[in-house]
Amino acid sequence: MGFFAPWFLAGAAAVALPVWLHLLRKHRSTPLPFSSLMFFEQRTQSSIKHRRLRYLVLFALRALLVALLALAFAEPYVRRNILPHSRSGEVTVLAIDDSLSMQAGGRLAQAKQMAKSAVAGLHAGERAQVLAFGSRVAAMSEVTDDHAGLDAGIDSIQASDDRTSFAELARSLRSIAQSLHLPLRVLLYSDMQQTGMPTNFNDLRLNADIRLEPHPLADKNTPNFAVENVIVPRRVYDANKTRVLATVAGFGTPKAIRRVSLALNGRVIETKPVEVPENGRATVEFVSMEVPYGRNKGAVTLDSADSLTADDTFSFSVERADLRHALFVHEADNTRALVYVRAALDASGHSAFVLDPATPEQTANLSPAKYAFVVISDAGILPETFEHQLRDYVAGGGSVFVALGHTSAGQARVPVGEQTIAGTRYAGREGDLYQTAASLDTSHPSIQQSNRWDDVKFYRAIRVDPGNARVVARLTDDTPLLIDRQLGSGHILVFASTLDNVDNDFPVHASFVPFLVQTANYLGRLDTGPSSVTVGSFAELRDSQEKGAAVDVLDPKGERVFSFAEATKAQNIQFTLAGFYDIRRPNGRNELVAVNTDRRESDLAPASTETLTLWQNTASGAPGAGGAAAVEQRPLALWWYVMLAVLVLAIAESLLGNRHLSVDKEGA
Amino acid sequence: MLQRFLDPATLNAISGLDLIAKTVVDGFVAGLHRSPDFGFSQEFAEYRAYTQGDDLRHVDWNVFARTDRCYLKRYRGETNTQLLVLLDTSASMGYGSQAVNKLDYARFVAASLCYLANVQRDAAGLIVFDEDVVNYVAPSTRQGQLFRLLHAIEKAEPGTRTDFTKPFVHFQNFLHRRGIVIVLSDFYEDPGLIVRTVEPLRYRGNEIVLFHVLDPQEIEPHFRQPVLLVDMENSHQSLEVSPEYARHDYRRKIESHMEALRDQARGAGMDYFLMNTSRPLDEGLREYLSVRRRML
Repeated sequence: MGFFAPWFLAGAAAVALPVWLHLLRKHRSTPLPFSSLMFFEQRTQSSIKHRRLRYLVLFALRALLVALLALAFAEPYVRRNILPHSRSGEVTVLAIDDSLSMQAGGRLAQAKQMAKSAVAGLHAGERAQVLAFGSRVAAMSEVTDDHAGLDAGIDSIQASDDRTSFAELARSLRSIAQSLHLPLRVLLYSDMQQTGMPTNFNDLRLNADIRLEPHPLADKNTPNFAVENVIVPRRVYDANKTRVLATVAGFGTPKAIRRVSLALNGRVIETKPVEVPENGRATVEFVSMEVPYGRNKGAVTLDSADSLTADDTFSFSVERADLRHALFVHEADNTRALVYVRAALDASGHSAFVLDPATPEQTANLSPAKYAFVVISDAGILPETFEHQLRDYVAGGGSVFVALGHTSAGQARVPVGEQTIAGTRYAGREGDLYQTAASLDTSHPSIQQSNRWDDVKFYRAIRVDPGNARVVARLTDDTPLLIDRQLGSGHILVFASTLDNVDNDFPVHASFVPFLVQTANYLGRLDTGPSSVTVGSFAELRDSQEKGAAVDVLDPKGERVFSFAEATKAQNIQFTLAGFYDIRRPNGRNELVAVNTDRRESDLAPASTETLTLWQNTASGAPGAGGAAAVEQRPLALWWYVMLAVLVLAIAESLLGNRHLSVDKEGA
Repeated sequence: MLQRFLDPATLNAISGLDLIAKTVVDGFVAGLHRSPDFGFSQEFAEYRAYTQGDDLRHVDWNVFARTDRCYLKRYRGETNTQLLVLLDTSASMGYGSQAVNKLDYARFVAASLCYLANVQRDAAGLIVFDEDVVNYVAPSTRQGQLFRLLHAIEKAEPGTRTDFTKPFVHFQNFLHRRGIVIVLSDFYEDPGLIVRTVEPLRYRGNEIVLFHVLDPQEIEPHFRQPVLLVDMENSHQSLEVSPEYARHDYRRKIESHMEALRDQARGAGMDYFLMNTSRPLDEGLREYLSVRRRML
């Protein structure tokens, strides 16, 4: 016998309280003057002795009550031997791995066959449940003793493109054991991929009443080639040939030469041989892809000649689109900023925007609505009609980038944004008389990947009162440098310095190019996601303004993913199949999403026997398949029984104490 | 301060009542009480044949006109009496489980009765006693008698133990006329002895009223735990008493004591009235006087 919380035994000292109440305090009689003792007699002592005895019983009850209460809090336990045959009501769980790797060499069919054999071996009345698991766990049958129902559940398991997650299986098993309150015997049919094991082994832990019996379907590493990755831009804006870079990996493979093909919209463009080193990777570069207008389905295919063919093709989507125009408003006599900005966008290689320069005078006849975004580079006073149009443009979802310089210093407010200009902060060009960016909000899309502004010197900055707008960057004297203000559905980004090389030396630093590219993508609302995603990832289908509008999604098989009711409500989608998903949004933003299987599934190396034994042992030392006759010891908590005794004693104490008190009640 | 024991509420409650002697009493002036002599009251007594020497004013001339004989019409005589209050001030009278102890309660009763007698123009007197006569105010109707009585009541304090025998022998020396004698005591003595001691006063034609003054805790003791009781009249005597005994045996004994005292007192022609100090004084006194008037 032991105690989980032995310190609570100190509470037994509270027994002193009833001792004091009964044995020490009660002997004191209160002297009370009375008019005459004529009618009292000495024999009253016997009554007191009788009562004293009853008090002693009450005292014993109370002392025992306190002691048991302290014992209950100390949580006593005894070690109990549990024989295997005592697992009454055990439920057998048949867990079948349906991940991508189970498609290799007919492993899934083999697993289903083994599971059916196990079902046939179940005793009459013995209950079981069928689970299929990949990265998620699906119950294929109820907990039942109906063999036909279990077989049907096994038959309904189909191969998926999912990846294996043993951690998710362990979590589900713990949940099932807790909800059933019955011991589980888990028959696990899987290829036991090492890549399916979680990084934290604790995620695999099992409850004490779960007995795991793994049935590995592969005892050695099976060689497998796979196209591991393809790098290709998601959008191209010119007719030049696009470069495609593919990585071919061999898992447990010898050195071999494989042929790799690039196909676009089903037409093979180029085929190349590649020498894959032993258990290594090789890269193939295709430079002959010409992308036609529109959304295109691309694929890199490997001639692998192995048992797992699902990972021999890597899909990607690429879109050919026209460059989008952005209006660049600047002073007629100052084109330096235009030069630097244009050079920065061109330097990025895949800029989606072309700048249309204009002076403030020329903007009077321009409509900003046809531009992806508008840049106002220290342009001074804008025509009132154009500024008014710009406000409407921003409120409707457009974006404006405002750079402030010496021309803006004389004005009271920032163009379009209407923030108050408080003054100008000057600094010298020598020594330490300049400022740097002191704090950057790296969560902002403009500086997410270009947050190294430490060596950029700012000599002059315009002080702008940010109001309730978001301050993305500040200078060392706390002057807001980059302010993002939302107006209606659009954004106004205010840069409190110029984009030329006069008020700062930002344009000649490396961080200028990514800053401008990201800012342009952010303001132009350009989706810059990857050209492909993996199975199990999510995509957003609508924003908050598109409530009620139907989003049509076709899966790789050409079937609609959502019913009509779901299509008007679904906020996002999880990609469960490998291939191309066609997403058609109500605002015309159609998207072709290439989904590939998780390439961790391509590594068919099984987990070591030691790892599986350790996993089995997480169930509080539950024996393996060979140790069925062993006796296990488990602590049996006794606090529940002690509390029950406390309850009984409390009732007895109440009854006895009430009898004592009733003397006074009747007397009153 | 002399009027401390004259509670206005009590006086108001008994203002419409009289303390009238049940027996024929002696007196010098006309009053509320029956006199052994015929007098001038409105109450007809008898007709008697005229004899020589009778006062002609009492001849019923109507009867003479009808019968041609002289008869005298006689009326009952009414006179005043004297009230003597015997106040027990033994130590046991100092007991009280409430705001007012027994002695204070008895002093209230005594003062109220003296006031009542004074209003009725009866002579009122007071004897304060414990084991001996402590104070004596002779009955009188003189000016200032009430204040003398109140002063004596004021001075009465709990004394030693009770001894009925010795003081009552003295009382017989003080009483020369028939009147009302009221004894205020807790009567912690054998009922037979009490009656035997008081009875001689009755033989002299006095009306005896025993006011048994008891505290509610004496009638129905209520102890939450065993207590050590110390006798107030003898501090060396103490007893440990359990609540059960007080609840059962003691109550039985005190009730039988009260019953014996009441029966024996009434058997000897005395009046007995239990005054529980838990009752308001005006209520108890009013009840006694009302009952007494119906009995007359």
